Amino acid sequence: MKKLSLILTAIFFALFVLSTSGWCWGKKKTIKIGINAPITGDIPKVGENTKNTAKMWLEDIEKAGGIEIAGEKYPVEIIVEDNEAQAESAVKTNTKMITEDEVIIVIGPQSSKQAIPAGGVANSYATPMISPWSTNPDTTKDRPYVFRGCFLDPFQGPMLANFAKNEFGYTKAAVLYDVASDYPKGLAEYFKQSWEKNNGEGSVVSYESFTTKDADFSSQLTKIVNSGAEVLFVPQYYNEVALIVKQARELGWKKPILGSDSWGSSETITLCGSDCYGAFFSTHYAAAGAEGITKEFIDRYKEKYGYVPDDVCALTWDSLKLAQNAIESLTEFSGDIKKDRVKVKNNLAKIKNFEGVTGNMSFTSDGDPVKCAVIVKISDTGEFRFYKSVCP
Amino acid sequence: MKPIIRFKKFFRFFSAMPALGWLFGFLTAVIIEYLIGDNIAWMLGLPKIPALFGFLIMLKKPLLIPGASAYIIIVYLLPLTLTARFCSGTINKIAAKLYKLPTPVYTVLYLIFLYIIIDIWAGISDYRIVTIKLTFIAIILTLSLNVINGYMGEFSCSHTGFMALGAYTASTVTLILCANDKLFGEALLPSYLAPFLFPIALIAGGIIAAIGSLLVAIPSFRTRGDYLAIISLAFMFIVKSLIENLEVLGGARGMGSQPHLANLPTVFIWTALSIWIINNFVTSIIGKATNAVRDNETAANAMTVNTRKTKIVTFMFAAFWAGIAGGLFAHVLCYVNPGTFGIKKLAEIFTMVYFGGLNSVVGSIIGAISFNLASEALRPLELFKWIIIPVIMILIMIYKPTGLVAFKEFNIKKILAPKGDK
Repeated sequence: MKKLSLILTAIFFALFVLSTSGWCWGKKKTIKIGINAPITGDIPKVGENTKNTAKMWLEDIEKAGGIEIAGEKYPVEIIVEDNEAQAESAVKTNTKMITEDEVIIVIGPQSSKQAIPAGGVANSYATPMISPWSTNPDTTKDRPYVFRGCFLDPFQGPMLANFAKNEFGYTKAAVLYDVASDYPKGLAEYFKQSWEKNNGEGSVVSYESFTTKDADFSSQLTKIVNSGAEVLFVPQYYNEVALIVKQARELGWKKPILGSDSWGSSETITLCGSDCYGAFFSTHYAAAGAEGITKEFIDRYKEKYGYVPDDVCALTWDSLKLAQNAIESLTEFSGDIKKDRVKVKNNLAKIKNFEGVTGNMSFTSDGDPVKCAVIVKISDTGEFRFYKSVCP
Repeated sequence: MKPIIRFKKFFRFFSAMPALGWLFGFLTAVIIEYLIGDNIAWMLGLPKIPALFGFLIMLKKPLLIPGASAYIIIVYLLPLTLTARFCSGTINKIAAKLYKLPTPVYTVLYLIFLYIIIDIWAGISDYRIVTIKLTFIAIILTLSLNVINGYMGEFSCSHTGFMALGAYTASTVTLILCANDKLFGEALLPSYLAPFLFPIALIAGGIIAAIGSLLVAIPSFRTRGDYLAIISLAFMFIVKSLIENLEVLGGARGMGSQPHLANLPTVFIWTALSIWIINNFVTSIIGKATNAVRDNETAANAMTVNTRKTKIVTFMFAAFWAGIAGGLFAHVLCYVNPGTFGIKKLAEIFTMVYFGGLNSVVGSIIGAISFNLASEALRPLELFKWIIIPVIMILIMIYKPTGLVAFKEFNIKKILAPKGDK
C-alpha cells in the first residue's frame, strides 16, 4: 500500500515537473485557429470531413514550418471543438475558443442553424469567422467579422432557373421541397420567384411541400407528374433525394430533375443508384474532370482518407486557405490577439480574386463571396461530371 | 482500514461546517483566483486559468493533468479546507446570528452572497458566463418538468413545445418593442427601457405557454399514462410545425437579433425565483393534492381533492415556467429556430429530471447542474461523450431507479442552519 502510493506520488511529481517546465522553455507565440465542427449529432459526416480537411491543411503548414508573417515563421495550432449540430453548443464552443483558447480566427460552424448564433458571438467579440457552408443570408448580414465560403441561395436559385430556361427552353417547372427546413425552403422560394419572372405567372405548375423525415412522397409526386411540368426541382439533402427520385421514377417521371448544392455528397449516388443518373445539380465544384489545384486537392484527399472529398471538404479547405492568406498578409504578429484579429478581418475583406479549389472568389462588403457555380450532370456511371460553369 | 479512517478524519471538520462556511470557502477561492489566478496558472505551466475546474484541459492535453490538478488543489480545495479547519467556529456563530433573522431576510442575504461568488467566478471568463447561464436555464426547465413528471406522476413530452412558445413570444415582444430587426422593423421604444420590459416579455411568454398547455390538458386528462405521453408529444410537433409555417416569425429560418437582455444577474434572479415559487407550490396544499393524484386518483377524489382542477393547474404552472425558461434561452443565444425545440432537447430535459431524481427540488437542481457540467467537461471526447453519459444514466437507473436525490423535501431552513458545536 505504502509503496503504491509512493510510486503514484513520484509519477505525479515527475509529470508535474515535465508539464511546468513549459515556462522554462519560453513560450513561442503560436497562431491558433479554431474549428467549430458538428462531429457528433445529426450530421457527423460533415464534421468528420471538416476535421479531416483541417488536419490535411495543418500538415501542409507544419511541413512549411508554420505560417510566415513578415519574414518570421510562427507555429500553428488548430483547436477542434464539437458543436453537436446544436445552436447552443455552437455558441458555447465559439465562446470557449475565442475567450479561452484565444484563437485568431474561427472556421465553421457549417450549417446555418449553428452558424447564425455562433456568428453573433464571433462578431460581438470582434473575432473573424468564416463559415464554409452556411447559405443563410443572416449568417453574415450586418456582421463585419463574419464571412462565408460559399455562394448564397439568392444566387443559386435564379441561376438554376435560368439554366433550365436557357439550356433546354423549358417553360413549366415543378418544385418539391421540405417546408420545415430552412435551406430547401429558401432555395425553393428563390427558384420559384425567378422562374415566374422568366416565364410568367403560374409557370411553376406545381409547388409541393413535405415535412422533414417524411418518407412517402407519392401524393405530391402524382400531382407533379400530372401537372405537365417539364422539369422537377428538388432542393433536398442527399438522403431525401434518393427517396424522392426513386419514387418519382416509379410514378413515371421521365423528364429531367434539377438539384441544388446539397446533392453534392458521395452518398447521393450510393443511396440513389441508377435512378439519379442524368440529373443535373448546381454545386461548388465538380470532382470528376477537375483540373489544376482542384484536382491536386482531390487526389491528395482521396489518397489520405480513401474517399472523394465533397463540397464541405472543398469549401472548408478554401476557407482555411483564405484565413491563411489573411494571416500571412499581416505586417506583424504582435501577440496582442485583439489587434491581430481586427487586422486579419481587414485583410479578409480586402481579398480579391482568391484562387481556391471551388473557383475564384472575392468578398463583398457583406462578407459573402462572389464566385462561380458549377452545374454538374450525373453521368451514366454515377460520376459527377462537369457540365457548365455559371458566374454571377 | 487505516486509509479510510484517515480519510474520514480528514473530512470530519467539513461536516461541522454550515452552508455559510462553504460560501466563505468558495468566496476565498474565487477571490484568490481573481487576484492571482493568472500567476498560479503560469507557475504551474498552464496556458490560462482552467475554465471548468480543469476538465477541458485535462482531456485535451493529458500532459497538463498534474498542473491542472495542482491548480484545483491550491485555488479551490486549500481555501475550502482551511476555512473548514480553522474558521468553522466563528462562521457557525455568524450563521447562528443570521439564523435568528426572519427566514426571507437571511435567505436573500445568502442569495446575494452566492451571487457575488458566482459573479466573481464567472467574471474570469466569458465562457463560464455562457455555460452558467445555460445551466441556470436548465435548472428552471428541469424543475418545471419535475412538477409534472415527478410530483404529478404523468409523463408529459410537450415541454419543449412550451419552451418554444415562451421563446417565440418573449422574442416577439422584445423584437417589436426594443430592437431594430428585419422581421418587425424599427424599435418602438427607446433602448433604455428594454431591461424593464424584459420581465414583462418573459411573463408574456410564460402565459402563452400556459395557455398552450390548456390545449393539451383539457382533452388529454380524461386519459392517463401512455396516452398523455402521446398527446403531449403530438402537441410538441404541432407547435414545431406551426412555427415552421408561420412566415411572420421567420419560419424555418428562425428568429434572430434579440437584444442581449439575459445577462447573468437576470438569469440568476429568475432561477432563484423559480426555485422559490416551485418549491412553495409543491409543498402547498395543491402540491400535496398533486401527490395524492399521482398515488391514487380515485382515492384522492374520494378525499375531496378536485383532481381535474389540480391536474390542469399543475400542468399550466409547469408550462408557465417552461415558457419563462424558453424566453431566457432565446435571449441568451440571441437566435431561435423551431428545430432547436425538438426531440433532442426533450431527451436532454428528461435526462436531467430522471438523473437528478423525481419528486425533488434538490434533485432537479443537482440533475441539471451535473448533466450540464458533465456534458461541457466531456466535450473534448467527442463521440465517447455520448457513450459515457448514457452509460452513467443506465447505471443510475439500475442502482437508483428514481434518480440521485428523489423524494426529498427542499427545506431552506435546514440547509442554512448553523451546525452544532463539536
